[in-house]
Amino acid sequence: MAIPVIQKAVAIFWSSFIMAGVATLVFFAVFDPFELIAPTWFPNLSRLGAYSIGFFLFWMLTLSTSLLTSFFQRPVEQFNKS
Amino acid sequence: MSERRVESPSDDVDRQLYAKRQKIYPREVHGIFALLRTSAVLLLLGLYYFSPWLYWDGRQAILFDLPERKFYLFDLIIWPQDFIYLSALLIIAAMSLFFFTALAGRLWCGYACPQTVWTEAFLWIERKIEGSRQKQIKRDKAPLTLNKFVVKASKHAVWILFSLWTGFTFVGYFTPILELANKIVHFNTGPWETFWVLFYGLATYGNAGWLREQVCIYMCPYARFQSAMVDANTLIISYDSVRGEPRGPRKKGIDPADVELGSCIDCTICVQVCPTGIDIRDGLQYQCIGCAACIDACDDVMEKMNYPKGLIRYTTQKALAGEDTHVLRPRMFVYAGLMIVVVTAVLFGLLTRDVIGLDVIRDRNALYRETGDGLIENVYTLKIVNMDGEAHVFDVDIDGLDGAQLVEDGDSVEVESGRVVSYVVRVQVDPNRMTQQSSDFMFRIHSPTAPGLDAEENARFVGPRWLGTGS
Ligand code: SF4
Ligand code: SF4
Repeated sequence: MAIPVIQKAVAIFWSSFIMAGVATLVFFAVFDPFELIAPTWFPNLSRLGAYSIGFFLFWMLTLSTSLLTSFFQRPVEQFNKS
Repeated sequence: MSERRVESPSDDVDRQLYAKRQKIYPREVHGIFALLRTSAVLLLLGLYYFSPWLYWDGRQAILFDLPERKFYLFDLIIWPQDFIYLSALLIIAAMSLFFFTALAGRLWCGYACPQTVWTEAFLWIERKIEGSRQKQIKRDKAPLTLNKFVVKASKHAVWILFSLWTGFTFVGYFTPILELANKIVHFNTGPWETFWVLFYGLATYGNAGWLREQVCIYMCPYARFQSAMVDANTLIISYDSVRGEPRGPRKKGIDPADVELGSCIDCTICVQVCPTGIDIRDGLQYQCIGCAACIDACDDVMEKMNYPKGLIRYTTQKALAGEDTHVLRPRMFVYAGLMIVVVTAVLFGLLTRDVIGLDVIRDRNALYRETGDGLIENVYTLKIVNMDGEAHVFDVDIDGLDGAQLVEDGDSVEVESGRVVSYVVRVQVDPNRMTQQSSDFMFRIHSPTAPGLDAEENARFVGPRWLGTGS
């Protein structure tokens, strides 16, 4: 059965969003950005900024994983047809 | 017999999968469950918008201060080190979800889920501005006129304002809300604060204004596995098909038996009120969020027809099949028991939690050292953790080691709030007063200015081997 476009989009964006959120939470509970790279590389970055950037980095990671998973999940037979 | 086809929007969604989703216009309902739901919505929204403004002891009572890495909950301060409590909280949440789902299906979805709560609020705004379901459908079909534009624009304006306030409140849980309000009034919020207010506001507007039931159908993980927690003894919202069928229209006050019909008059009101657009008469469906709107609606119809209420009601599959049903079954006690255990453990942990922590680490380089005066010396690093809300000064003492003296670089050590300080001290003992090679003793710290703030930790003093031989 075909899957609605919105469901496909949700499967990639939403699931990666949740996991990025969880990862951010766990990561920054253990590591304080001020004691990591922040002071040397980005001296003016606030903690809130570091958390936010961390979140988006995590999201990029999980998003690309989701994308790749759904990409490789497509049936292989279709490549023989064209 | 009536063959009238009931129009259920979700049928369309299912049949034409790539077709655009058909918009659902839930009809307004009144009744006992609507009252319950509205009360839940008001209570939860009230708590959400009000809580960050609560003050306690001169600071925001509930503040997950991300920039400072401290969580304030009234008198409690939770640090990143207390991560375990978050896990316990998740276990409690999961257990209560299991419990309530096994009890009566998707109670959470119908009454407490933020998606439901904000959608209800948005629907209310929509009804206030756009009017009843009929009016909304008519307006949406009509061509764009100035009036239609004004109505639509004002609805979205109110929605957006409400969403922005929601986003602002959300960020107010993470950075002090008064400061934030002040910054917003003066247009000098930080870039990240602005971003998250807008982001959360947009999410609210999108989810409650546009996506609505699609969030439940496509985005919610709980909806997918709820069936694992529901069994034949769970109270679920069901249509009593034995009593209802065959359905069909009839005049008011006619006894169903006289016209060879069931109690359902096929008015489709239950379908019109459904926020997910399904027909409950088709049986329990994945899309049903358990909002009970159809119960209220049908009860109303039954009352008008002078039929007994409860054609659609909370009941169990077993009861519908005419079997004995037991809502209080073993799994309920297991879930409740587990929940009580974890709650007790958390409460106990929080109440007996030490705000001052002391750890003693012996010098790794040498077991002991002999000083110029012939004393035996051990070096220790004290790790002092201060999880109180303010800085404290601590005095260090030792206890349980005969004739020992403590040598420190200063008189006392200051530890800032939320910090761990490493403090190196030396302990010296005259070897003639030692009777064995190693002896246990105790480090004690206490704050001279704040009585009650103290901690102790065992340590071991080690001397030369010949002490152990007794010679
Ligand atoms: S509201 Fe009640 S009577 Fe009307 S169609 Fe639904 S089940 Fe039948
Ligand atoms: S079927 Fe009834 S209880 Fe289920 S979502 Fe629709 S109106 Fe709510």
